[in-house]
Amino acid sequence: MFDWNGVMTVFPRIAEGMQLTIYIAVSGIIIGFIIGLITGYIRTTEHCILKKIMSFYVWLVRSTPIIVQALYIYFVLPRILDIPFDRNLAGIICISINAGAYISEIVRGAILSVPRGQWEAGLSLGLSRLQVITHLIFPLAFKNMLPALGNQFIITIKDTSILTVIGVAEMTYQAGQYAATSFNLVESYTTLAVFYLFLISILTVILGLLEKKMGVGTK
Amino acid sequence: MMEVRHLKKKYQENTVLNDINLSFQTKDVTCILGPSGAGKSTLLRCLNLLEKPTEGKILYEGKDILGKQFDIRQLREEVGMVFQHFNLFPLKTVAENIMLAPRLVKKTGKKEARECAEAMLAKVGLADKADAMPTSLSGGQQQRVAIARALAMQPKMILFDEPTSALDPELVGDVLNVMRKLADEGMSMIIVTHEMNFAKEVADRVIFMADGSIIEDALPDQFFSAPKTERAKSFLARFLI
Ligand SMILES: Nc1ncnc2c1ncn2[C@@H]1O[C@H](COP(=O)(O)OP(=O)(O)O)[C@@H](O)[C@H]1O
Ligand SMILES: [Mg+2]
Repeated sequence: MFDWNGVMTVFPRIAEGMQLTIYIAVSGIIIGFIIGLITGYIRTTEHCILKKIMSFYVWLVRSTPIIVQALYIYFVLPRILDIPFDRNLAGIICISINAGAYISEIVRGAILSVPRGQWEAGLSLGLSRLQVITHLIFPLAFKNMLPALGNQFIITIKDTSILTVIGVAEMTYQAGQYAATSFNLVESYTTLAVFYLFLISILTVILGLLEKKMGVGTK
Repeated sequence: MMEVRHLKKKYQENTVLNDINLSFQTKDVTCILGPSGAGKSTLLRCLNLLEKPTEGKILYEGKDILGKQFDIRQLREEVGMVFQHFNLFPLKTVAENIMLAPRLVKKTGKKEARECAEAMLAKVGLADKADAMPTSLSGGQQQRVAIARALAMQPKMILFDEPTSALDPELVGDVLNVMRKLADEGMSMIIVTHEMNFAKEVADRVIFMADGSIIEDALPDQFFSAPKTERAKSFLARFLI
């Protein structure tokens, strides 16, 4: 039957893993946002070569499973580059380039959804392209992309769980370790699932408040 | 002040402007008339390079604006544009809309830019709307803000692309009155419009376009009372009810 003692034992371990989960997810989403902003913007411009490189990056990330990317970054890249990677660093890199590729799509779509008239009005007043982008296009695009960004954040948190394959001691890894040694499989994975539910639910509420504050969905 | 020579614009195989030759004088009000699809907007947008001409030359104050060393931003500072759909910046207040370009392009101080914005708003009859959001205004008011925004750059010339075509009929008059006032003050203007009475009354010159070419280039009296071509006659007939 359900062993509450098992739950009590695994709980602090998963809680500890949660710190790493949050740390990696937040770092990943911030770095990914920067990557996505730059690559997404470039993909809306006429820079042929840069555009091809960015599209290649998005294609590469979207066409391979994240678990393969994690294995590749942790086990193969250090061999190619001949420098050892820390697990957590490999984890952050993996999550960042993944989030970056998807955010790139979000940014591109949001930029393209800003009416062309905004560009024309800005340029016709003598603003530079960069000024139009930073003062007119991004503020509007950001409002449009907030729901999709929030969604990506949730996906990113869940994605961190696959880092267990390279031994990053996040929530899933902690639960798995305990389950394997104690054979309390039911308790370990039930507690783990509850942790994710709790984490994502809180995030959903926060994102909802943020969207409301930003006036998303209103004109 | 602006001269167009052998201007041609193609979209892929589709020739939208075909060998346009024109020159615009300072302080002139030129109205461009013609059926939709004639290439009027494209011509206007070539003048400030929102659209890149396929062939030909455009000279602004004697300088070739398509030349490598020409800084297009300088022309855009001096030649304003007003659009059919206003294109106000929706997240900014009316005053911020007007202050943006003076602040960023002319590096005007905040206080000075604000005073200028208020003066321009007074000029278009919207002195009380400085802190309103654009979406809370009627179409006619939005278009007058757009005119104030262009005026804040102290332009030498303003291009208008069907400034009243998106407005409810009862709001057209306010916008035309503002434009009439600018004409009286000696502003150089090129106006694409379907407001025949306005053109008749305010224009120094009327250009009639169809199918990417200039069909007539005449004084308003001449054009409206005795158009030379059949195209112009049948076009005008549609506006006389
Ligand atoms: N960006 C574009 N791409 C392709 N065709 C265009 C584009 N803009 C305008 N056109 C075409 O050019 C022609 C002239 O358009 P336009 O200058 O807007 O005419 P007008 O303002 O006189 O109604 C139209 O046939 C239109 O379909
Ligand atoms: Mg047009």
